[in-house]
Amino acid sequence: MHFRIAIAAAFLTAAATAQEDGLHWLDSYKTAIEEARKTGKPLFLEFRCEP
Amino acid sequence: MLSPKDSPRGKLMSQYVLARVVRMDNIDIGLFDYDRNNTLYFFLLNGDEEIYMRYGGRDATGPDAYLNLASLEIALERGLELHRKKQAGEWKPPARPSPDFAKNYPLLVERTIARNQCVECHLIGDFQNQHRELDGTLDKLKHLYRSPDIKTIGIQLDVPKGLAIKEAKGAAAAAGMKPGDRIAAVDGTPVWTFADLQHRYDQVERKAERVRFTVDRDGKPVDLDIALAPRWWLSDIRYKQLTIDPRPYFESRPLDAAAKAKLGLDPAGFASEVRHVDMFAQVMKSNELKVGDIVTAVDGTVKDEMADTPELYIKLRRKAGDSVTVDVIRDGKRMRMPVKTFRMSFRK
Repeated sequence: MHFRIAIAAAFLTAAATAQEDGLHWLDSYKTAIEEARKTGKPLFLEFRCEP
Repeated sequence: MLSPKDSPRGKLMSQYVLARVVRMDNIDIGLFDYDRNNTLYFFLLNGDEEIYMRYGGRDATGPDAYLNLASLEIALERGLELHRKKQAGEWKPPARPSPDFAKNYPLLVERTIARNQCVECHLIGDFQNQHRELDGTLDKLKHLYRSPDIKTIGIQLDVPKGLAIKEAKGAAAAAGMKPGDRIAAVDGTPVWTFADLQHRYDQVERKAERVRFTVDRDGKPVDLDIALAPRWWLSDIRYKQLTIDPRPYFESRPLDAAAKAKLGLDPAGFASEVRHVDMFAQVMKSNELKVGDIVTAVDGTVKDEMADTPELYIKLRRKAGDSVTVDVIRDGKRMRMPVKTFRMSFRK
């Protein structure tokens, strides 16, 4: 049970730690699509409730 | 840190444009359709808004039942593979669904956008259903019982390994599914993740009697024709926020043929023995049923094409907030009593 809670917590706090990870997250869908078109990279899009 | 930039997962993620969306105001919810009762949900796509796959999904076990960092890594790798195929002209995108936006739902506009409040995912799903109820397009088998549980046909996934089968029982095992198989397609549509599988499985017609799963076994595709039992779509929805769900606050178990015969009840009826009465039944003055009561009819109806219990009949055939009358056998005496269902509100 503790492990499962830890996994959920890990996902839920991914947002908070993303910048520490050195990964850059955009908060605008429009900007993200423009960036994907410009760079030719795929897009990893997360939908989540507002914290 | 979950995914340091120089870790394997960090290296995978750095090959993507990463974006996080919390407001759905201007998002095409037709394209990004998913069961809104997920806390987190992900899409892997390209700049042309062509979706490669989904990641996420859950069941009644908990919001994290299918969230796993190892399976996320698998999805990220597959996403890059599909993107390379797309760039090489070797990948055919799925047909784009009709566009849809939050502004198309007046109740949602009134309750959120007009108040400058966040258009949250679960609100979208709930208001969509409320509008369906108003305009007569609500299909409870599909909309109330969205995201059927794959465990009901005996599929247990090895979650860290994506769609690898850990254990196959019941209908899946009878069709030939084995541990170690990897689910590759449902009714011919490729699936890469649990979210893909759950989304595609949800599209199976509720009256269907069979579903075709294709599994990868030792590098070769194997088609499995799985039999679907009546009410295969029925799963525990108590964790969901559904205003359209009439809550009767009791649970019962169908009587067997012998018990029905002994009581002189219709053998095809949904007569059931009450096994649990929720504490809210008393608090909300919903009903005065007791454990052990036999409920034999709802508003005089004793059987239904889809329902095998009176509470399922109420959920499928009545609106949230409706009151019904149930016929009950208690200690050998026949009686009739009211049951008031409740219409929940999940607004902030």
